[in-house]
Amino acid sequence: MTQLLQLSISGLALGASYALIALGFSVVYRASRLFNFAHGELLSLGAFLMTALVEVMPWWLALAASACLTGGLAALLERTVLRRMVGRSVFTTIILTLFLGLLLRAGIVIAFGTDTRGMPTPWDTMAEVQVGDSTVLLSSLISLGATSLVLVGMHALVQRTPMGVAMRAASENQEVALVLGIPVGRVLAFTWFLAGATAAVAGIFLGMFPRSVDSNLGYVALRAFPAIIVGGLESVVGAVVAAFMLGLLEVLSQAYVNPHLGAFGHNFHAVFPYAAMILFLVLRPRGLWGEHEVRRV
Amino acid sequence: MPTRPLVIRYEDDLKLFPGLWQRAGVLLTLSITLAYPWLVSTRWLTVGNLGLVAIVGAASLMVLTGFAGQVSLGHAAFLALGAYTVAVLGAKLGWPFWLALPLAGGVSALVGVVIGAFALRLKGLYLAIVTLGLVFLTQHVLLAYPEVTNGLSGTAVPMYWWFRDDAGVAASLSETWVVGGVGFNFERKLYFVFALLAAGTVWLTKNLQRSDSGRAMMAVRDQDLAAEVLGVGTTQAKLQAFGVSSFLAGIAGAMFAFQQQYITVEPPFDLNLSIQYIAMIVLGGVGTVFGAVSGALAFTFLSPLAETVGGALPLVNQLTSAQQATVLLSLVVVLVLVLEPLGLFGVWLRVRRYFQAWPFRY
Repeated sequence: MTQLLQLSISGLALGASYALIALGFSVVYRASRLFNFAHGELLSLGAFLMTALVEVMPWWLALAASACLTGGLAALLERTVLRRMVGRSVFTTIILTLFLGLLLRAGIVIAFGTDTRGMPTPWDTMAEVQVGDSTVLLSSLISLGATSLVLVGMHALVQRTPMGVAMRAASENQEVALVLGIPVGRVLAFTWFLAGATAAVAGIFLGMFPRSVDSNLGYVALRAFPAIIVGGLESVVGAVVAAFMLGLLEVLSQAYVNPHLGAFGHNFHAVFPYAAMILFLVLRPRGLWGEHEVRRV
Repeated sequence: MPTRPLVIRYEDDLKLFPGLWQRAGVLLTLSITLAYPWLVSTRWLTVGNLGLVAIVGAASLMVLTGFAGQVSLGHAAFLALGAYTVAVLGAKLGWPFWLALPLAGGVSALVGVVIGAFALRLKGLYLAIVTLGLVFLTQHVLLAYPEVTNGLSGTAVPMYWWFRDDAGVAASLSETWVVGGVGFNFERKLYFVFALLAAGTVWLTKNLQRSDSGRAMMAVRDQDLAAEVLGVGTTQAKLQAFGVSSFLAGIAGAMFAFQQQYITVEPPFDLNLSIQYIAMIVLGGVGTVFGAVSGALAFTFLSPLAETVGGALPLVNQLTSAQQATVLLSLVVVLVLVLEPLGLFGVWLRVRRYFQAWPFRY
C-alpha cells in the first residue's frame, strides 16, 4: 500500500509535466488548428535558458525570464512562418513544424553545446518529504503544485478575462471573430506565447531529478502524445486529465506490468501508453472529448 | 500555377510514354543509369546505391501519403521490419537474397495491412500519431527478442546469391566477379540489383497511379466522403494503399540492410528516418511518381554536399556532419514548403511550360 501511494505521487508528478506539455499542444491546436511538433524543442530551450539565466539572477526571476523568452520565440515562429500556412493541408503543417523543430534543435546545440547540465533548484534537489508513511521527493511535490497553479491560472485567464473571451471566440470561428472586432492576429500570437511559456516551465521541472538537461530533453514531448490524442485534440481539459492518467499509467505499469512480461517487459512502460492509445482509438477515433467532425461535401 | 497539358482522349491518358520527349527522357535516364557505376568513384557509387534505396522508399511513401492522403510518420517501422527480416533469414538460415527480399516485403505488408485496419477510422493528425506509435512499438519488439535480432548490438546482413551447400557455406555476393575482363565488385553488383528493383518500383507505382485502384486512392485523398457516396470502396482503397506502401517499404528496408551490411535498431530506424522520407516526397512534390524519384535523388545527393557546405559555414560547423546535413536540408524543406508547394515537380512543370510555349509567355 505504501508503495502504491509513493508510486501514485511520483506518477502524478510525471503527469503534471505531461499536463503542461499537453496544455501547450492543445491550446495551440485550438487556436491555429495545427499540431506543433516543434513544441518539444521549446521545452528544452526553456530548460537550457534557465540553466544559463540562473547564474545571473535569482531563481524565480530566471524562471519567469526563460518562460517569457521561450514564449516570445513561439509567438515569433507563429507570426513569421506558421501564419502563412493557414488553409494548407494537415500534411504540410505537420512537416513544417517537424522541420522547424529540427532547426530549433540544431540552434540549441549550437548555442548551449551537447553537454548534460543539472537543473539548479533553490531547495535541495534530493530532499525528501514524509507523506503518511511513504517518502516522496520534494521536487515532485513542488512540480505538482506549480502545475496546479499554472492550470488554475490558465483556466481563470480563459474563462474570466476579456483576452480569454477573445481567445475562445477566435478558436470558434476566426472570420466571425475578426468581423466582431477581435484582433485575431494578436490573439494568436498571445496563445502561442502562452504555449511557449508553459513549455518552458514544463522543461524546467522535467530537467530536475531524475532527469538532467541535455539536447534530448525535447523527445519527452513525444511521450506526451498519447495523452493529447486520448484526451481529444480539441479539448484542453481532456488533454490535461489524460496527461495525469498517462503519468500514473507509466509509473504504475513500470512497477506492476513490466515484471510479468519477462524479457519483453524491459522498458515496456515507455511504449505501453502508445499501445494503449492505439487500442483506445479503435473504440473512440476522436479521443475522449474530441469533437465529432461535421463536414459539408 | 503551372498546369498539365490537356489530355483529350482516354487512350492518351493511359499511355506511359505519350510523346517523343518522354521517350527521349527515358532513353537518357537509362543511359545515365547504365553508365553511372563506371564513371564515378566508390564513394559516389555508395551514394548512388543509397539513392536507389531512397527511390523505392520514397515511392512507397508516395503511394500511402501522396496517392491515398494517409499521413504516416511510421515509415521507419516498415523499413525496419524489412531490414530485420532479410537480416534474420540471411544470418540464421542462409537464404539467398532474391528469396528473402519478397518475404521482407510480405512481413512488412502484413503489419501494414493490420495497422491499416486500425487506421481506417482515423484521420489526419490522429493517424500520424498512431503511426508514430508504431515506430516505437516496432523498436521495442525488435529490441525485446535479442536471441533473434541480436538486440542493441545489431546484426550482420549477409547477401547470398544461392543456398548453403552441403558444407554449410553459402555463396556470398561480396566477392568480386570478373566478367569479360570487367570487374564487378560488391558495390557495382549491388548497384545493378538495386537499379532493377528501383525501376520495377517506379513502373509499379506509375501503373498503380493510372489504374482504377490508384484513382480510388486519390479520390479518398481529395474528399473521402464524396468518394464513398460516389461508390468508391474507401475501405478497400485505404487497405490497398497501406498494403502496397508497406510492401515496398519492406523491400526498401531490405535493400538498405544489404547495402549497410550491418544494422542496428536505432539509429537508423527512428522518427528521423520517417521524417527524411517525408522530406523527400515534399521536396519532389506530393502526389506524383516523378516527385518521389526526383525528391529521393535530390535528398540523397544533397546530403554529402550539405555536409561539405556545412563544414564551411560559421556556427553550423560546430555540429556533427550528420547534424549539418539535417540543418541545411531542413532549411531547404521549409523554404520549399513556404515558397513552392508543388516541389521539384512544380519547378519542372514551369520549366517545361516555358519551353513549350516559347517564344510566348503563356
